[in-house]
Amino acid sequence: MMHTTHNEEETKKVAEAFAMTLKGGEVIFLFGDLGMGKTTFVRGAAEYFGFLDPVRSPSFTIVNRYLINTPGLRQILHVDFYRIEDPSEIWPLALEEEVGQPDTMTFIEWPEKAEGNTHPATHKIYFTSTDGVHHISIQ
Amino acid sequence: MRILAIETSCDETAVAVVSMVNGVFAIEKSILSSQAKIHAQYGGVVPEVAAREHAAWIFPLMTEAGIPHDGAGIDAVAVTAGPGLVPALRIGVELGKTLAWAWKKPLVAVNHLEGHIYSVWLNTDHPPSFPALSLLVSGGHTELILMKDHGQYELLGMTRDDAAGEAFDKVAKLLGLPYPGGPEISRAALEGDATAIKFPRPMLDSGDLDFSFSGLKTAVRVYLEKEESVSVSDISASFQQAVVDTFVSKTLQAIEKTKPASVILSGGVSANRVLRASLESSIQLLDGSITFHAPDLSLTGDNAVMIAVAGLMKASRAEYVDPLTLVADPNMRLA
Repeated sequence: MMHTTHNEEETKKVAEAFAMTLKGGEVIFLFGDLGMGKTTFVRGAAEYFGFLDPVRSPSFTIVNRYLINTPGLRQILHVDFYRIEDPSEIWPLALEEEVGQPDTMTFIEWPEKAEGNTHPATHKIYFTSTDGVHHISIQ
Repeated sequence: MRILAIETSCDETAVAVVSMVNGVFAIEKSILSSQAKIHAQYGGVVPEVAAREHAAWIFPLMTEAGIPHDGAGIDAVAVTAGPGLVPALRIGVELGKTLAWAWKKPLVAVNHLEGHIYSVWLNTDHPPSFPALSLLVSGGHTELILMKDHGQYELLGMTRDDAAGEAFDKVAKLLGLPYPGGPEISRAALEGDATAIKFPRPMLDSGDLDFSFSGLKTAVRVYLEKEESVSVSDISASFQQAVVDTFVSKTLQAIEKTKPASVILSGGVSANRVLRASLESSIQLLDGSITFHAPDLSLTGDNAVMIAVAGLMKASRAEYVDPLTLVADPNMRLA
């Protein structure tokens, strides 16, 4: 499905509608260049699940965890492989303990840097922009 | 007292031995994986992929630093317990626990941010007096913290999205400059006009002490898309000025609010000379009685020396933890 947004609030609205369909165990790949709204999208999803602390970019930390209080769901895992230079850097992160677990929803930014060294995606979301208008394609 | 400190919270594996005599710190040993000349394992060249393999690094570094196997001469062990990356933190925390238990020495758990703040207590005759306002800026952190006394912190504000160092790295990437981007942008900025492009100064009138750098990054991207011919130097200088102006403005707002006796700038981005100079002169202009403190350039990035100093201060207050129960905390807070 294709969505068009003009600002952060609209991107968060699309994310909320998407978050509504999540049941746990999903692994969502987010594709798109710097400044396209990937982290804003995760912020919208986290807010839908009642996480009210700031959702910060995980580019440096690689993994952020947002604990949520919904029956059967424990956390949103916000992963960012931006700083990963070689797929062999993935295994020391020990992500397999949590990614794909039924109580966890995982959003992964820059999944292309992992080259198959991570859990397969259940959803792929593409972020692009033309003339200040953002396009979000959910597959 | 002599303390062994271990830091593995992010990319850097670091070990240090620091002693404190009559309140004066002496760095006896300090070693970083990014600088170490340990050839055996990788045949002379350290591949980028090994950067986060703390388990492979930590014992060669301990050996290189000459840490005695029986802990002779070491009075306590300090380890970074958080915040950071769990699998990375765990390596240091488990080693610290094991050594403290085996050597029967007390163990101190240090917050990584506290370590950065204490980096300004080294190599100075005039350490900060309290209350101290601390601006901590690095790849992963952008925080304004009020330090009322040793070990007493209050979080005043932080970034709501990207950290400042991350903004430097990502703008460098947009400009085609290599990683890490901070030094590259500073270098390019020397040749540029800081007033050439009007980038936003985010959150200046937000009424709180929070930061936001994601929009500034996007502003650079949009500018690059729109303009046909661009000057990397002018963009670098204008972007850097936007970041510096934001830090100066928010720090002055925090000074008005908290009336500190001193201001501490620390973290990897504190190596930025324009930021250092602008912040110091603005504070002087506002109130000449407030002292300004920034770490030696060698101590701005992650290191174990700063963890040792914070650990010695905690040890002097007997703030020890049980080596059997300490757990790495990726979201560890200062206050």
